[in-house]
Amino acid sequence: MIFSFKRVNAIFIKDWKDLQRNSYILFTLAIPLVFAAMLGRMNAATDVLSTYPINLALIIAGAFIQAAMVAEEKEKNTLRGLLLSPASTLEILIGKSALSGLMTILVIIGSIIFSGYTVPSLPLFSLSTLLGLVFYLATGTILGLLSRTVMETSIIGMPVLIIFGMSSMFKPMVENATLINIIELLPNEQLNQIWFGLSDGKGAADILMNLFILFLWVAVSFILTIVIYKKRRFD
Amino acid sequence: MENVIEVRDLEKSFQNQLALKKVSFQVRKGETIGFLGPSGSGKTTTIKILTAQLHATAGEVKVFGEPIAKLKDPIYMKRIGILTDNSGLYERLSIYDNLALYCDLYEVDKKRINEVLTTVNLIEESKKIVQKLSKGMKQRVTLARAMLHKPDLLFLDEPTSALDPVNTMHIHQGLKKLNEEGTTIFLTTHDMQEAETICDRVAFLHNGEISLIDTPENIKTQQSTSSISLLLRNNRKVVVQKDEAGAKEIYNYIKDGEIVTIHSDEPTLGDVFVKLTGRKLS
Ligand SMILES: Nc1ncnc2c1ncn2[C@@H]1O[C@H](COP(=O)(O)OP(=O)(O)OP(=O)(O)O)[C@@H](O)[C@H]1O
Ligand SMILES: [Mg+2]
Repeated sequence: MIFSFKRVNAIFIKDWKDLQRNSYILFTLAIPLVFAAMLGRMNAATDVLSTYPINLALIIAGAFIQAAMVAEEKEKNTLRGLLLSPASTLEILIGKSALSGLMTILVIIGSIIFSGYTVPSLPLFSLSTLLGLVFYLATGTILGLLSRTVMETSIIGMPVLIIFGMSSMFKPMVENATLINIIELLPNEQLNQIWFGLSDGKGAADILMNLFILFLWVAVSFILTIVIYKKRRFD
Repeated sequence: MENVIEVRDLEKSFQNQLALKKVSFQVRKGETIGFLGPSGSGKTTTIKILTAQLHATAGEVKVFGEPIAKLKDPIYMKRIGILTDNSGLYERLSIYDNLALYCDLYEVDKKRINEVLTTVNLIEESKKIVQKLSKGMKQRVTLARAMLHKPDLLFLDEPTSALDPVNTMHIHQGLKKLNEEGTTIFLTTHDMQEAETICDRVAFLHNGEISLIDTPENIKTQQSTSSISLLLRNNRKVVVQKDEAGAKEIYNYIKDGEIVTIHSDEPTLGDVFVKLTGRKLS
């Protein structure tokens, strides 16, 4: 299969032009930033909440915006045009994730600045965050593909928000040991363990297992995205 | 001659309702074929199966000589243009930007945008945002998009259903030109006039079955009656037979200077359709 960067870029440019007139998405992108700024004001950047703005940016900008953008293509019948074009599955999926991916990275950088979070070991922090980004983009794409309308994404997305967004907050309240073990395997927990580990001065060798589990999440979500996407060609 | 589409014993059922029953036909390279039928007769279903948007329940479907599953290959998708009721546009983008995306997807030079916009009579509006367009204008944009890459095979599901006569004529000219340049066209319509103007052959679809498939001329002459209508002075109407007695009668009327108009009673495609199926087209 020939991979055409031109086609990927064309979808990205199209989404970029669309974003400038899309107040819903612009507004949503601001939510994590506002939260980060509030946290920064409270000088809470050092406690357990310190990484929360990054998680929130991943969920809101990475998963929810992506879901809304994909669902809108379904709602307005534009996805079908892409599916019936010569663009390959990979070109469409990457093209369609490019803008939300870029926006998420910008929002994460903004959140770090506003909340006053100190980034430990930039290479390892970036690597883990990028893995997390791919997972959340894939999750968002799946949510978008499963919804018929943009409105539906917020309903279907609710469990995802609770599981990946709030499980870290619920964890201290959970008594069941098995449940705690499961929660700790979730991608958001893996990211937290990596980031806190790095802040505590841990090195690459100590977080290898976490990176591996995170990578498994990425692989599973990616395969699932392709499977669900391929089904969407047919009515 | 080479067949671009070959369909044999195609069947499609939704739940337990049969939408297409044993449909068989071929489309030759370079021809314009029209599927004519009332609402619910299975026109859209046929197009969706031919463009791999729906699975057939039974039968054999080949496009470009290949089974339909192969069409998903980008090499084939490049040769096909599609306009169906679910061809959506990006509402927040301009007409030009919508087409620019498709130029890149199909690897077509952006110069082509002005050509297709001229064809659909929208060149002045190219900077307008799609959201602000009328229904007919949107239909013309999707049509422009479907022909952007000069496909070998163009599928059009009711391409002019929302258009006024002037724009319909414009589109018909554009389609004829595209056809002359080598594009095979498969279209559906419930507009008889449209079928007669641009189709080399038409198929009558009724309750999921093809009841007749032929050139418009053949259909009309085979079903034509043997009478001639005369309109005489003082608004008198006379019908005479196409025989010797009829000829004498006409001769006399002409000699006396009585005749205002004269024409043979050819049925329209619509008349034939009603006769064959007992149903009106729309
Ligand atoms: N997705 C579907 N699920 C169930 N039944 C369907 C579906 N799509 C079409 N049908 C049925 O199949 C039959 C043919 O429908 P189709 O849309 O092909 O008709 P059509 O000739 O295109 O009509 P129109 O002129 O109104 O567009 C109809 O009876 C319709 O109810
Ligand atoms: Mg239809």
